[in-house]
Amino acid sequence: MRHLLTMASLAMVVGSCWIGALGAWRMRDPMQSLHYLSVPATVGTISLTIAIFLETGWSSATIKGIVVCAVLVASNSIGAHAAARAIRTRRLGHWEPRKGDGVEFVARQEKS
Amino acid sequence: MNLWLIAAFGVGACLFPCADLCLRGTVERRLVGLELSSLIATVVCALLTVGFRRLPFMDLPLTLALMSLGAGLVFARFLERDL
Repeated sequence: MRHLLTMASLAMVVGSCWIGALGAWRMRDPMQSLHYLSVPATVGTISLTIAIFLETGWSSATIKGIVVCAVLVASNSIGAHAAARAIRTRRLGHWEPRKGDGVEFVARQEKS
Repeated sequence: MNLWLIAAFGVGACLFPCADLCLRGTVERRLVGLELSSLIATVVCALLTVGFRRLPFMDLPLTLALMSLGAGLVFARFLERDL
């Protein structure tokens, strides 16, 4: 049973990495490609941590796997935000939302 | 050859589309390829560590995950205006 669960977790790791890689590869716009990074960063790393736990039990490898998973989940959101901001700044010269951008935002109320 | 090494080869093959992202197209697309390939490389390192039964080497994917965050941020920062 444990072997089957490990196999299923590893299959999810491989599948999520392929979905992320092919999705990012096929998208035309880099902004769209950025969204596919989250699949291997979340599903892939969580499945990997589960597989390591099933294989080795509560070992130092499992704890390091949990840390790797936490770092990748956190760094993916930070990295994707930084990349999106850089792409937008490079294209428009600014990254703040402005009227006419086609992005919904709440306008800052001016103090009277 | 065990399950972990097969999975490592399966995930490692994802580096081919990443290489295409990194080597062709616009600079923005290459940045996405860099971030994706560092993520994939971290997963491959972890799979190889367990596959070869060298569990103390789990420090390697941990270090790679931490360092790739800094690398991605530096490239993103330079991409804004300088590249």
